[in-house]
Amino acid sequence: MTALLLITIRIPSDARTVTDQLGRLVTVPDKPQRVVSLAPNITEIIFAIGQEHRLKGVTMYSDYPPKAAKLPMVGSYVHLDLERIVALKPDLCIAISDGNPKVVAQRLESLKIPVYAVDPRDLNTIMETIIEIGKLLNANKQAKLLVQNMRFRIQRVKSLVAKTAHRPRVFSQIGISPIVSIGTNTFMHELIILAGGINLAAGPVSYPRFSLEQVLALSPEVIIITSMARAAIFEKVKSEWNKWPDLPAVRDKRIFLENSNLFDRPTPRLVDGLELLIRLIHPELFEEVD
Amino acid sequence: MNTQTPSLLKRLLFISLSLALVLLIAMFLGLSMGSTQTGIHAFLQNLTGTGSSDSMLDTIIWQIRFPRILLATLVGAALSLGGLVFQALLRNPLAEPYILGISGGSAIGAIIGILMGFSRFPGVSLTAFAGSIATLLLILVMSSGQTILKKDALLLSGVMVNAFCAAVIMFLISLTQDSRLHSIIFWLMGDLSMVDIGHVGILAAILLPCFILVFWFSNSMNLLLMGKEMAQTMGVNIKAVTVILLVTTSFMVSATVSYCGLVGFIGLVVPHLLRLLFGPDHRVLVPACVLGGGAYLVFCDVFARTLPEQGEMPAGVITAMIGAPLFIYLLKRTRR
Repeated sequence: MTALLLITIRIPSDARTVTDQLGRLVTVPDKPQRVVSLAPNITEIIFAIGQEHRLKGVTMYSDYPPKAAKLPMVGSYVHLDLERIVALKPDLCIAISDGNPKVVAQRLESLKIPVYAVDPRDLNTIMETIIEIGKLLNANKQAKLLVQNMRFRIQRVKSLVAKTAHRPRVFSQIGISPIVSIGTNTFMHELIILAGGINLAAGPVSYPRFSLEQVLALSPEVIIITSMARAAIFEKVKSEWNKWPDLPAVRDKRIFLENSNLFDRPTPRLVDGLELLIRLIHPELFEEVD
Repeated sequence: MNTQTPSLLKRLLFISLSLALVLLIAMFLGLSMGSTQTGIHAFLQNLTGTGSSDSMLDTIIWQIRFPRILLATLVGAALSLGGLVFQALLRNPLAEPYILGISGGSAIGAIIGILMGFSRFPGVSLTAFAGSIATLLLILVMSSGQTILKKDALLLSGVMVNAFCAAVIMFLISLTQDSRLHSIIFWLMGDLSMVDIGHVGILAAILLPCFILVFWFSNSMNLLLMGKEMAQTMGVNIKAVTVILLVTTSFMVSATVSYCGLVGFIGLVVPHLLRLLFGPDHRVLVPACVLGGGAYLVFCDVFARTLPEQGEMPAGVITAMIGAPLFIYLLKRTRR
C-alpha cells in the first residue's frame, strides 16, 4: 500500500513528480492533454472516468467502448510502434507492467516522453489503478465515484453468496485445443471465488493445460468457456463436451460461452463479469428474487 | 600476383563505391519512410533545414529511424559476412551460421537470458554469446581431431546441433506462459525496432574489428577454396585460420542475435548474389558483403515498416520471404 502512495513534489513549472505503481519516479504534466494509452484496459479506464478527450492514441484491440476503436492506433500492446507513438506528440504515456515490453518504456523515456506504469493484479489493485489514473488526469472525483460504485456492486455479490454454503465446481476454459484453464494468479480465479464457486484449475501455474481425461476426472458442475472463439466454434466445443453425459455440467446443461473481455481485462467491467458469473454459478439465488 | 594488384585495387574500389551508393540509397529510403508515412519530401525538408522545424519529425527521423537503419546495416553486414566465411571454410554453398547451429545456440542463450529477466544489454548479450560459444565448442569437439577440417563432419555436426537447438527453443517456449512469450516470439522472428543509438554504438564497436579481421584473412579464404593441399603449399596455417575465422564469426553472429533475434537467409542470399555479380575473389567479396548485406537488410526493414497497415512486422519475416524464393531462383539460373 505504501509503495502505491502518490508522492507529490512541486516543481516550479506545471509539472510534478509522482511515483508510479512500479515505484518509479515519473515527472508528469499537471494537466496532461495528449495521453497515449499503451493497453486496451487503460483505454477503458480512461473512458470510464470520462477523460477520453485527453486520449490521443490507443493500442490494437482497444475496442471498448466502441468509440475507442476510432482513435489512432500505435501497434499492439506487446508490440508497440515507437514511431507512431512519437508522431502523436504525447505528453504522457500510460503503460501496463504485465504486457508492455520494458524496452519500450525505456526508449520512450529516453525520448523525453513520461511513462507512468500501472500494475493491476486483482480487483483491489484495479480500483487503486483507477484512482491513480484519476489523479493523473485531474479526474479524482469521477475516479472515486466509479470505485465506490464498483465496491458497492462487489459487496452486493458477496452478501448474495453468503446466503448459500454450496460452492459448485467451476471449470473455466480459455483455450479450446489444447484445453487451457486459469490458475490462482488470474482475475478469473478471483471472480469465480467471489461469485461462490470453486476454481478447479486453482494452482501456481497461471494458464495450465489440461487433457480431456483430467477434466473428466475433475467432474466440473459448470463449464464457462471464455474464449475469443465465435459462436460456431462454441457449438462444436459444446458438442464435444456433450459426448460425456455423465459430466455434471453436461447433465445439467451448464456449459456457457461468455465474452472473455469481461474476465481477463483489468477494467471496471470485471464487476460486470462478476455479476454475470454469480448468475451462472448460483442461478438458484435469483429464482427467489425474480 | 603482383601484376594483378593495381587492377584488383581498381576493381575493389569500383565495387565498394557502387555498393556504398546502393547502401546510401537504402539508408535514404530507411530514413524517409516509416509507419507514420512522413514521406521523402518531409525528410528532404528536414535534411536541408527548409520548411517548418518540427521537433517531432526530428525525433522520429534521428532518434527512431536513424539508429534502426544503422543497426540494420551492421546486422546485415555481419550476417552476410558470416555466411561468406562459412561457405569458404566448409567449401559448401549451403553453409551459414544457422546451418551450423551457431545462431540456434545463441538464441537458446538469449531466451534463457530473457526468461531470467535480464536486460537486453549486457545480460542477454552475454548469455547469447555463451550459448553460441558453447555450441561452437560442441561442434568442434564432435568433429575434433583430424576430422576438424573435413567439411562433411563439421557440417553434419552443425546440422545435428541446430536440430537440437531448435528443440530446446521449442521446449523453452512451451514452458513460457506469460507476457514474456510475446517478446520472445517477436524477438525470434528478428526484430529491429527497439534499439537506441547507444546500443548501436556498442554493436559497432564489437563488429567493426571483426570485419577488419575477416578482411585480413580474405586471401587465405581464396586459397582454402582451392583445396587443402594447395593452401598448405601456399603457406596458410589451415588450422589457425579456420579456428580464428570460426570464433570471430560466432562472435559476430551472437552479438547480432542478442540484439535482434534470428534474422534469416541473409547469410545465404547476399554472398551468393554478390558471387554471381563479382566472381569468387574474397578480397572483393568481403567488403562487398559488408556493404551489400547492410543495404539488403535496410531495404527489407523498410518493407517491414511500411507494408503492414497496423504496426510493424519483424524484419526477419521479410528477409526470409524475399530470401528463400530469390535463393531458389539463383540456384536454378546458375545451373542452366
